[in-house]
Amino acid sequence: MDELEKIEGNERVYSLNLGPQHPSTHGVLRILLDLDGEYIVKADPVIGYGHRGHEKMGENRQYKQFLPNTSRMDYLSGMLYNHGFVLAVEKLAGIKVPERAKYIRVIASELNRISSHLLWFGTYLLDLGGITPFLYAFDDREQILDILDAISGSRLTYSYCRFGGVSRDVDMKFIEMTRAFLKRMEARWVDYEDLVTKNVIFIHRTRDVGVISLELARQYGVTGPNLRACGVAFDVRRSEPYEVYDRFDFEIPTGSKGDALDRYVVRFREMQQSCRIIDQALEHLPEGEIMTPKVPQKLSPPKGEVYTAFESARGLTAYYLVSDGSPGPYRCHIRVPSFGNLNVLNDVLPGTLVADAIAILGSVDLVIPEIDR
Amino acid sequence: MKINDIEARMHSKFPESPLNRDDTGGTGVQWSIAVPISGIRDAATEFDAAGFFLESITALDFEDTFELVYHFNCYEPGSRASVRMLCGHDEVPPSICDIFRGAVWLEREVHDFFGIKFSGNADMRPLLLPEDADYHPLRKTFGKVGAYHKREVIYG
Amino acid sequence: MSEGLLGSELFRLILGLVIVLAFSQLNALFLVWLERKVSGHIQLRPGPMEVGPHGLLQTIIDGVKLVGKELIMPLKADRKLFFLAPVLVFTPVLVGFLVLPFGPGLIIHDMNVGVLLVFAFSTITVLAILTGGWASNNKYALLGAVRSVAQNVAYEIPLLLAVMSVVLMVHSLSFSQIVASQKTVWFVFIQPLACLIYLIAATAETNRAPFDIPEAESELVAGFHTEYGGMGFGLFFLAEYTNMFIVCAVATSLFFGGWNGPFGISLGIPGVFWFLIKTYFLIFVIMWVRWTFPRVRFDQLMNFSWKVLIPLSLVNLVITAIVVKII
Repeated sequence: MDELEKIEGNERVYSLNLGPQHPSTHGVLRILLDLDGEYIVKADPVIGYGHRGHEKMGENRQYKQFLPNTSRMDYLSGMLYNHGFVLAVEKLAGIKVPERAKYIRVIASELNRISSHLLWFGTYLLDLGGITPFLYAFDDREQILDILDAISGSRLTYSYCRFGGVSRDVDMKFIEMTRAFLKRMEARWVDYEDLVTKNVIFIHRTRDVGVISLELARQYGVTGPNLRACGVAFDVRRSEPYEVYDRFDFEIPTGSKGDALDRYVVRFREMQQSCRIIDQALEHLPEGEIMTPKVPQKLSPPKGEVYTAFESARGLTAYYLVSDGSPGPYRCHIRVPSFGNLNVLNDVLPGTLVADAIAILGSVDLVIPEIDR
Repeated sequence: MKINDIEARMHSKFPESPLNRDDTGGTGVQWSIAVPISGIRDAATEFDAAGFFLESITALDFEDTFELVYHFNCYEPGSRASVRMLCGHDEVPPSICDIFRGAVWLEREVHDFFGIKFSGNADMRPLLLPEDADYHPLRKTFGKVGAYHKREVIYG
Repeated sequence: MSEGLLGSELFRLILGLVIVLAFSQLNALFLVWLERKVSGHIQLRPGPMEVGPHGLLQTIIDGVKLVGKELIMPLKADRKLFFLAPVLVFTPVLVGFLVLPFGPGLIIHDMNVGVLLVFAFSTITVLAILTGGWASNNKYALLGAVRSVAQNVAYEIPLLLAVMSVVLMVHSLSFSQIVASQKTVWFVFIQPLACLIYLIAATAETNRAPFDIPEAESELVAGFHTEYGGMGFGLFFLAEYTNMFIVCAVATSLFFGGWNGPFGISLGIPGVFWFLIKTYFLIFVIMWVRWTFPRVRFDQLMNFSWKVLIPLSLVNLVITAIVVKII
């Protein structure tokens, strides 16, 4: 096996190619690992396998033509990306949105956030070798997909938000389904706590593993639950409230150490907080229009630029649109949270075990196509 | 508020640079400052010392110049600021990757898409493009292009 | 003449081997089906349902598929060792059946070193895994093989120490004598700690979750058998389940009274059924554990063995020895 080993000085380094086809890299991520025994000496993530050029596509299309693209970047939180893009364009073109549409968007977005976190919850446990929670989580997620399917017509790539509103109104059936889901989840949280959160093996696998210090998080621009696990209550829904988020009473869960267990707990609590938001939004859902009348088919916003941030399931996401007055943007840049969240692993992985690397990789909740764009 | 402190420091650091405040919040940033190409490292150092994080680096391609846009933010409500600098098509801006470690990848991405080399960033391998890519897809001279403007067409 | 042949030890051995081969294959197929059913019901789904009633024939179909597959060998693999490993992993587990006491008199060859034989041969499994992992010339497979060796070395010790405490009480290494001395009280009530240690160590020995780190599919893709396909993989797979049966059968004989009913009450059920019921129940418990817990990390696994299990089993052995001496 001599040709498989690199000789570096007197030390023999075993280099392992983790991915791009590997059960735990969640998409096509490749990490070049230099190993000393099972300890990682150096980690170099290689990305770009899923690069489709969304930014270039954005420049070549009209605003509404780019709308379906948005949910294909982070396919797990398509509704959130959709929502964010619509917000950016509305800001750029100065379109007002009816109250009811705002509430519906918030409900749909929070449902999507829960479904994304549930998928993460399941696959994270799968990475750690626990297969059963995965199927439980998917069962719950299926309920959300059914609800979103009922209003938008698709299960993953929604394109539900429109400039000036949403594409279809919600009916009583949707409200009943959502309420039933919230009720169902109350019992499920208890199940999950017993099955996973209090599990000794799980705690041992995640506590003090992959600690991202606050300084490291700042250096790499880590955001979202990964940042909040370090103890900073930074959430775009609170720091720059968009839509009607300033009207709801919800907490921003934070951790203290920034290890994998904290990241798990933060996401877990976030799902519960999202349920609270949905509950309040359903309570106060106003009657009225769902779409602003007279939004032009061919939108030509005035010259200028807009940088609109929103909180996707993975952290601070932003659309940076520059308009030259034509029906398509002159520049369309997307700031994705997983970019920083993966980048930080350059510093976190060295010194850990291969088994830990999987636990860390799962705990930061990466969606690779979002990074590759 | 850190954002006000840093604004004052930027004023003193770059007295000649125009600082545009956005009080209506229409653009999503509190203010933006245009610095000369040599000033970005000073600006980034200031932001780093004030506890900001680097949100994104991106570039705009105009007929006459590139424009690099750096967005900084901190963990306080509504604290985003942007630093902009004009960078000629064959100029090499200085890298800030020793100030913000996350900038290594962000600069690699900008290099991928626009072909802007950053002096001081040792790792300029393609990040999102294939290893052997020698094209820069977000330049307005690449592929299908809608419009190619001079900078003043949009920003006056 | 014919009676002499039928009654001879040689004939008994050959007949036993044939039965063992048939039983071990059928048993493994059944266990695979059972595992899928158990996991299915734990995970709120029905498991295999299509082939046969409740999917009973599913594993047979799977077996046929595996046999029909092309044997693919990596280019730089060690050809001989690569093919030797799956055979090597399956042979020793068959030997274990020779001395298992299924019922009174239902034992192929009642040796006075039966316990020793089972554990001596089960150790060969790790050699097969190492061979397979090394010969594959695959980095994940090698990592899996290395893990497997370290794990087995660590868990063999508490396993044998736990067994030793039972052997000390009976003064015999013969299975039938051990079972016979549990006529009224099972050893699990006298040696609960040894029983617990044995079950934990046995789970680790058979590379079952939560100790399945040599395969650890989310870390090492498939661990030592990454490069195996078709029947090569099939043999590793069957060996795992047969191994599981053996460790559970041994546990039944050593701690749960073998063919004896609880507290000497047999309820008219033949001994062999008592034995099988208890064995399959233990197998079910091991499956249950697998589908409930996440996987432990490698260093935690080693620490647990060296720092907890081995000292505990040593203390247990010493106490047993003292008590036996006094009585």
